[in-house]
Amino acid sequence: MKILIIEPDNVLLNVYTHSLKKAGYQVSSAHGAQAGIIIANKLKPDLVILELQLIEHSGIEFLYELRSYTDWQDIPVVINTIVPPAEFNNSRKLLMHDLGVDRYLYKPNSSLHELLSVVNELNLVTA
Amino acid sequence: MAEELKLPLVQITNLAETDIDQVSGSIIKTTANSALKLIDNYILGVKLSLEPQTLNAENVSVASTLYDVREELTDLAKNYGVNLELNIAGKYGPVAANKIGLEAALVSMGAALIEAMPALYESRQLKLQLATHGSRYGIVAGVYADTKQLSLGALNTGKRLNQSSRQRLVGLSHTNGAGVFVADSILKAMGLNLTATRHHHWYGIGTVLQPSSQLQLAV
Repeated sequence: MKILIIEPDNVLLNVYTHSLKKAGYQVSSAHGAQAGIIIANKLKPDLVILELQLIEHSGIEFLYELRSYTDWQDIPVVINTIVPPAEFNNSRKLLMHDLGVDRYLYKPNSSLHELLSVVNELNLVTA
Repeated sequence: MAEELKLPLVQITNLAETDIDQVSGSIIKTTANSALKLIDNYILGVKLSLEPQTLNAENVSVASTLYDVREELTDLAKNYGVNLELNIAGKYGPVAANKIGLEAALVSMGAALIEAMPALYESRQLKLQLATHGSRYGIVAGVYADTKQLSLGALNTGKRLNQSSRQRLVGLSHTNGAGVFVADSILKAMGLNLTATRHHHWYGIGTVLQPSSQLQLAV
């Protein structure tokens, strides 16, 4: 399974990449939305892990772009973000329904183990 | 500030879940130290705004302050793959400032920019300069990078968004950018301004300092 991680923080990006590779996944990464689209085009990911709070273009903008391509409309997306539930809920319908987000994880409340479990679960579903 | 501190704590908890070797152990230590430093500097800013006389102006060497700032930021820069350079061109005499306050402000803004750099540049080589140079207004000390996002407009927008946005420097940092505003409060309390500045082809944020006349007083 090929995973694309879009995560602006370098320390977290390294942790996620290391852990997912160790779990047997093929991982590519970007710090921002624009680079994320370019990499998605090359990698053809099976899953995207996305932070909403990025520099310049937000994660929501990335999702609009991603979903505008027919090939990418069904790729599972896990939101792994610093944006708290109260704020996420303001855009829940847009993200979960219109933009096809599969899971929302709030970083301060979720562990690395939880992120890996969600990825494993989605891997089983898509396999 | 509370928002800003979530990130280092998330980093630490996530790192603690990995196989902690010497490398991740050292990243945890640096991350914790950097967060603690930000808290200290925030407290200093608040204290100074309430009691401005706490840190009196003295003769300060900008060059030696920048050396100390580099020492403070070296490990954090390493965590983020940023090459931290010192650019002390020209020989300037002492300036009238407070060394503790000036150092705290430069460390705060430097740390904020270091954390933002990988996302600002994506795959480009990451360089940040701690620099001092002369200007018609005085001696400038600041933190410089090769990005136009370090602008007065971005700073002013960020100041206006105080309390109303979780991402005040949206074109510059994925975090709240608290370090920049902590620096602003410390500088303000010392009667200085945080401003955008340019040096050769680099864009930066820093402050303009006045040469100290104390050494010239014979009485």
